[in-house]
Parts: sequence; C-alpha cells; structure tokens
Amino acid sequence: MSKKGDDIWKNVDKINSELFTLTYGSIVAQLCRDFNHNYHEVNNQLDQMGYNIGIRLIEEFLSRTGAQRCQSFKETVEVITKLGFRVFLNIQPAVENWSSDGRSCSIVLPEPNPLNEFVEIPPTKDLWYCQILCGILRGALQMIQLDVDVNFVKDTLKGDDKTEIRLKLNKILKDEVPAGED
Amino acid sequence: MKLYSIYILNKAGGLIYQNNLDPSLNRLTANDYLVLAGTLHGVHAIAAKLTPTIVGKDSTSTTSGTDPTANNALLLSTGKVQNSNTNKTGLGSIETDLFNLYVFQSLTGIKFILITSPNPILQKQHEQASETFRHLYVLYSDYVMKDPFYSLDMPIKSQLFDLKVGELAALV
Amino acid sequence: MTSYYFSIIGTRDNPVYEFEFSSFKNSLAMSTSTSVPGKSQFSASIKEMLPFISNSSLDIIEDAQWTTNLFYLGKIDSFYGLLVNAFITQGNIKFVLCYDVSNGTTQKYDDSSIKQFFIEANDLYVKCLLNPFYSVNDAIVSPDFDLRLKLIAKKYL
Repeated sequence: MSKKGDDIWKNVDKINSELFTLTYGSIVAQLCRDFNHNYHEVNNQLDQMGYNIGIRLIEEFLSRTGAQRCQSFKETVEVITKLGFRVFLNIQPAVENWSSDGRSCSIVLPEPNPLNEFVEIPPTKDLWYCQILCGILRGALQMIQLDVDVNFVKDTLKGDDKTEIRLKLNKILKDEVPAGED
Repeated sequence: MKLYSIYILNKAGGLIYQNNLDPSLNRLTANDYLVLAGTLHGVHAIAAKLTPTIVGKDSTSTTSGTDPTANNALLLSTGKVQNSNTNKTGLGSIETDLFNLYVFQSLTGIKFILITSPNPILQKQHEQASETFRHLYVLYSDYVMKDPFYSLDMPIKSQLFDLKVGELAALV
Repeated sequence: MTSYYFSIIGTRDNPVYEFEFSSFKNSLAMSTSTSVPGKSQFSASIKEMLPFISNSSLDIIEDAQWTTNLFYLGKIDSFYGLLVNAFITQGNIKFVLCYDVSNGTTQKYDDSSIKQFFIEANDLYVKCLLNPFYSVNDAIVSPDFDLRLKLIAKKYL
C-alpha cells in the first residue's frame, strides 16, 4: 500500500477561492429571491443547509486529521479554530470572551473572510450572510455528542467592527458517547 | 495479510455495509450478516465494560494509541495526521488460527470491522490493519458521506464506494 | 476647469449609474474662485441635457464597436462644445464620459488619462458585478462603488 504523506495541509484538495465565494453568494442571493427577502427564513434555510453539511463533514474532518475526543470545551474550540477552519477555509479565527464557567465563547473570523469577498448585503439588519457556518458547527458538534448553540452576534458586512460567532455548550450527550472510549 | 471481508456498522450497531473481498468465501444469508454485526456490536460494548481500568490507563498497545489529549496536542503542534481510532477499551481484535478480526471505531460511533487472513507476525499485522482502517475511513468520508443522496445510518449502496474498497483491498 | 459627466448604460440602453464632477487638477489654485472642489460647473441648461447627450451617442458607439477590437472607443461625438468619449465592456455595458473643454479652460484634455480612467472604472464595475446581490442592468447604488469611482476620477481627471 502506498503510504501518503501524513502532513494534513499538503493533502487538502484546493479550489479557486473566487469560484467558492461566487457559488456561496449565488446560493444566498437565490434564497433571498425565493423567500421574497424574508431574511429570517433565509437564515433558517442557511442554518439547515449548514447542519446537513456539518453532520457529514465531521467524518471528513476526523478521517483526515485523526482528532480524538477533547477533554474540555476549551480544547474543542481550539481544535475547531486551529484545525477545522484551517483545513476547510484556510483561515484561523481568534477565540475571545470566554464566559467564567467555560461553556461559551466567541469565535472571531479574520478579515478577509473568504465567504464575504465582493459582497455587499442588502440594507437590512436581519440577514446573517454567513449563517451556514453556524449550521455546520452545530451539525458537526452534534455528531460528536456535543449539544451546542451557535449564532452570529456581529458581522462586518453590517458595519460591525468584527465578524463574531457565539458558541454556547448546552450539554454533553453522555448517553450517546459510543462504548469503547476511555 | 489478505483481506477476507469488510463490515461497516452504524452507531446503533446496524450493518450498513458488507463486502466479501475474497470470492471464495461462503456467503451467509442477509439476515445472518445482520445478526453477526449485531453480535459483534454487543460483544464490543460488553468488552468495554470488562476491561480492567488500571490496565486501560497506560497501556500503549498498537490499536489504542496514545491518550486523546496528547494526541490532539501533537496534532495541533505538528499538523501530522494522527490515528483516528477511538476504540480504546472495547473489543479491539480477535486473533485465531483461521482468521483475524479487527475493530475500528470513529469518534462519531461508526465501526469498521476487518476480517483478514491470520499472520504469525502480529505486530506487523496490527500496523497493516490500522493503516487499512485509515484509508477505509477516508474512503467512507469521501464516497459515502459526500454522496448527497446517501441518508445517514442507512445501508450503503454506492458502487463507487464498492469500487474504491476493491482497489484498497487489492493494495493491501 | 473641465466638468465631466460620467454614465454607465446597460445592455437594454437603461441607465445604471451617473456621476457629475469637475477636474480635481489644480483645484487648490482654483479654490478661491470655486466653492467646492470636484463640483461640476455645467450650466443649468446643459445639466438637464446631459443624459440625452449620453444616450444619443449610443448609436455611434454601437457602430464604432465593430471598427476596432479595443474596448476604449476614444472620442466618438461632440455636442456644442461638449466632447463624448466612450468605452464598451465585454458584457456590452457602455461607459460614456461627456466633458466640456470650452468653458474657459487652459487644461489640455488628455486622451490616455481618460482611457486609464475607463479601464479602472471597468475593474471597479467588474467587482460590483461579483456581488451576489447585484444583477446585470440593476442600478448601482453602492456607496462603496461611489467612493471608489470618485477616487479614480480624482486620480486621472
């Protein structure tokens, strides 16, 4: 059996970032048209699409990296930002604003955000353009038995100073952890 | 090492994929395969309960690898692929004169089971099995999880996946 | 000081964008006589004619586009002392620039800087087109586009 190199970054397939940006942009714009600019519904749809991606993408992530169960939520967030975002979007967000109980924190996406290039959103406070990311995180974490609320609190597209995603760990689904782990 | 058969179990212990890679094997009925899968799932879980906890902590056998925290720290610092097998205390392998059986479990609870020819040099056999599992898991994430028409936890019908598994088996 | 009227006209001869300004060159020296730098000096009667002048040049643009393989069509028309330069994009969007040289100006008009202005305006237009919420022939209302176009105008005209 030919042994592939074990460096994760070198084995990631890459696509043209503009193709990616434009594809995602077309999806969001089409959803806005389909739902008659009902942006709450558009957010829900994006979140649901993200969830469906997340529950599948987690396998890709685990098989390519070999990540093991994290011992704390802090470690989980570290793996997501330093490894997950880097493998799939080639960005490394910052983590801030830990709550004192260590169950919620903010992920701040660095600029330029690969999803946002060229984009100017319609004048509304309701649309969260990158909502799909929240769905992906929620779906992926659910598959590894973490019930987490994910939502946007700030977006530079709306004139905020940064793009910030808030994560809140509700509970660890201990009953669903597969047998055989430590 | 020669691959006889591959099983994939969903997290509830249902058989979602079975492939006899050696055409000379006697075939069981579909029902028997399901029973076999269910039994293995149960035995694996029982084995996890039976494992002495003192040994479990610092045993460094080839299938169980290092402890998760060290594994993740290594992953973050080096960017090198680690072993994604999370099967630490459950049934890991059965070695007999007629066949060997290896069990791999992902963090999401999917089990991959390999049945291979016996090999007197067990150490090498373990390494080969773990390498095969790694490739198999990548194939699964590519050709099963990324198939938009595949629904989670359902039997895998993908011919493309069959083909890729066949190619993998030929390389082992 | 030269005054300019820049307009973008869509594939169905529909207006997409318009912008009036005057040359920023020497605006410091002139600042005593004029109030705001960059404010156009067109007379009221000309002002209301400008969209018509732009649009009346569309036929000439469509003839001219087959005579050259360049996107910049140069000076294609004049109207009572107003000169009209045009540029056509690959997507059949027309950029038209009307400017007045007779208005007591000493500044010589410079063809190559107009060409550069058009080329950069085109780059800017392409960026605008990449916005998923913008579709071809929509009016351009983005304040960002406005600002960037003004910067280009200031740089070249």
